[in-house]
Amino acid sequence: MIYDMKPWQWVKHVIFHPTEGFEDMRWKKAGSLKISFFIVFLLFASQVFSSRYGGFAYNTRAYSDVFNIMPILVQSVAYYATWVVSNWSICTLFDGEGNMRRVAIYTAYSLVPYIIGNTLSTALSYFLTLDESIWYNAISMIGLGWSVVMMIFAMKACHQYSFTMTFVSMISTVAGMVLILCLLALVMSLFQQVYVFFATIYTEILYRFRS
Amino acid sequence: MKCKKIFSILLVAIMAVGIMTATVSAVDPYTTYNYDAWYNAVPSQAGYEVIDTYNGVSMKLSQLSDPESEFFISENEPATLSDSKDFFVTKKGEFYIADTGNNRIIKTDINFNLLACYKTFPGSTSKHVVVDENGNEVEVDADELKSPYGVFVDDNDVIYIADRDNQRIVKCVEETKTSARILQEYYRPETPLYDSVSFYCTKVLVDAAGNVYVICPAINKGAIMFSDSGSFVGFYGANRVEVTAEVIRNKLWRKIASEEQIASLTKSTPVEYANFDIDEEGFIYTVTEVANATTDAVKKMNPAGYNILERTADNNQFGDQVSATYNGTTYATRLTDISVDDEGFIDILDYTTGRVFQYDERCNQLLICGFDQEEQRGGFNNPNAIETFDKKIYVLDGRNNDITVFGLTEFGQYVHDAIQLHNRGFYDQAYDLWQEVLKRDGGFYMALVGTAKALYNQDDYEGAMKYSKLSFYADEYDKAFEAARQETLRDNFTLYVVIILILVILWFVIKILQKKGKIPKKLIATGCGKVVNACKNAAISVVDKIKKGGKGK
Repeated sequence: MIYDMKPWQWVKHVIFHPTEGFEDMRWKKAGSLKISFFIVFLLFASQVFSSRYGGFAYNTRAYSDVFNIMPILVQSVAYYATWVVSNWSICTLFDGEGNMRRVAIYTAYSLVPYIIGNTLSTALSYFLTLDESIWYNAISMIGLGWSVVMMIFAMKACHQYSFTMTFVSMISTVAGMVLILCLLALVMSLFQQVYVFFATIYTEILYRFRS
Repeated sequence: MKCKKIFSILLVAIMAVGIMTATVSAVDPYTTYNYDAWYNAVPSQAGYEVIDTYNGVSMKLSQLSDPESEFFISENEPATLSDSKDFFVTKKGEFYIADTGNNRIIKTDINFNLLACYKTFPGSTSKHVVVDENGNEVEVDADELKSPYGVFVDDNDVIYIADRDNQRIVKCVEETKTSARILQEYYRPETPLYDSVSFYCTKVLVDAAGNVYVICPAINKGAIMFSDSGSFVGFYGANRVEVTAEVIRNKLWRKIASEEQIASLTKSTPVEYANFDIDEEGFIYTVTEVANATTDAVKKMNPAGYNILERTADNNQFGDQVSATYNGTTYATRLTDISVDDEGFIDILDYTTGRVFQYDERCNQLLICGFDQEEQRGGFNNPNAIETFDKKIYVLDGRNNDITVFGLTEFGQYVHDAIQLHNRGFYDQAYDLWQEVLKRDGGFYMALVGTAKALYNQDDYEGAMKYSKLSFYADEYDKAFEAARQETLRDNFTLYVVIILILVILWFVIKILQKKGKIPKKLIATGCGKVVNACKNAAISVVDKIKKGGKGK
């Protein structure tokens, strides 16, 4: 097989060759950050789509007037970013070979089936009744499962691990994500208090000058 | 949060209206509201309005102290009600009011003209030991009531009274206009099963078989049930324990703790129900008077004590959905009494807010009336009991010592007629009535549901989809959608088949041509490339033009 493919052809290649695709990509030093970020944007967009649209019987929440984009932003972009950071930090310690750029690219590429499954099932829910929900569920579950399989092989290829080591690293990555998010929440609340402190001083000074 | 906000705004509005009576032109001194599909409070039309209020004066209770009158009891018999706890209306339309503070039972007709007032109850089998002024213990006949808290009358005019402070149930019939002869008394059951020392009964009820059900607030195993002959049968229909974090934690602790530790843990016990009512078919309805009760707040029990609302109800939220604090007072729903009329409507009285919540037999929220400003008509201070008769709601207030009568408005009448047809499955006949309701309140939840069902029955699937979307009713939408989808498929079947055939043929043709080499392999790709390039060039030239234009100026 000839491996001089364009960047977007590499995406197709890894999706349809989940076991060897990432090894090939690593061998060829292929993969583009631009496409990765585009995929993350698509992940965000597909989550917005699936929470805001869909058949009425499937997604009644989409038809209420309350919509908050922040949880979706966190669930897509923030989770992706923390995954990348956490995986890189842990695998650096665990003798992984991947650098952060590669982790970011491989992670994003393996998200594609999930995005497709999510979007397709949401679109399909416009044409399905509740009795036929098995199709809706099947498509989203296949997409998710495919992504998980791809993610395992992506991490394996990225860091050149054995299977056991891959699983260990992935589980510790999730633990690391939880840690990072907790710390972030803590830092944010701290900064908010610091901000409030300075804001109070500012208003206090303002009052002094005015009176 | 939003719900709470709206509710508090509403409460403020009600308060404001209560204060600024001068600005109110409507009959009711409060704004009526209802709940939408999201359990948000939204303003609505009044379904009930106050027709009249009756107190001791309008009942002519002064006859009781008038020696000329046939109702004469004594010279200083009070002419007002006093802290009445309960009343009952028979099928004939006669009221029996338990005048708790004055230890008597008042019987009136439907217009509250006095028919009798039972003060003495001869025929008691027991003697009561009381301490007289000199400090000696004397035995007296228990021929008077002591704080009668509950009253019930069966079809044969046999009166059952929960004589609370005498710790007995009295079964009696009228003897004269001022006394009733005791047929039987029910005392504290002498059985190990009954583990409370007292028998402070507050409510009583009798089913068609003559079984007597008694509520004692100290007993949380359910109602105490006596057979017709007076023997203790058992407990009936206990509530379940409301699952809270504490209950779960205790349950977990119990698994690992030692026996001494278990003994020190608080027991998880259910809350007793406060009041009950029996309907035509013999089902017993109960309410639990705990602030914001969610488990078993309202039950409809079959003779075995099984709550059948769990299967038949469309809705399991009763009363106001959130508690609100206003002026230091927290308003949390406390359901104090329930009444079921012969048409199956369930009326529940909220002690805190003085509101009456009306539900249909499937527990769909219909109408809300009443409020908590006791100085005004339709407002209550201590709403103790509710009864329904002939489409009117009667609410007994123990502090105002009066009875308020609510009658249906035109809007309420439409709602009632429509929901009755709706629940019997006559969706088509209910349609016009629901339209009348929607004209007056465009957001009335059950009207939207009813319209959706009616349109589905009339094969107007698009309309049914629209209204089930408005009422947020996913299952109904799904039914209508399935039918609509089938209809479009059937109507355009040929078209779809032709389109699919054309696509398949096209695909084959392209494949064959590709094999023969008549289409260059990258035709489509290059075609796309050309289009993209053209767009790119166009965009660049546009940007250039804009830039140049900017410089030129």
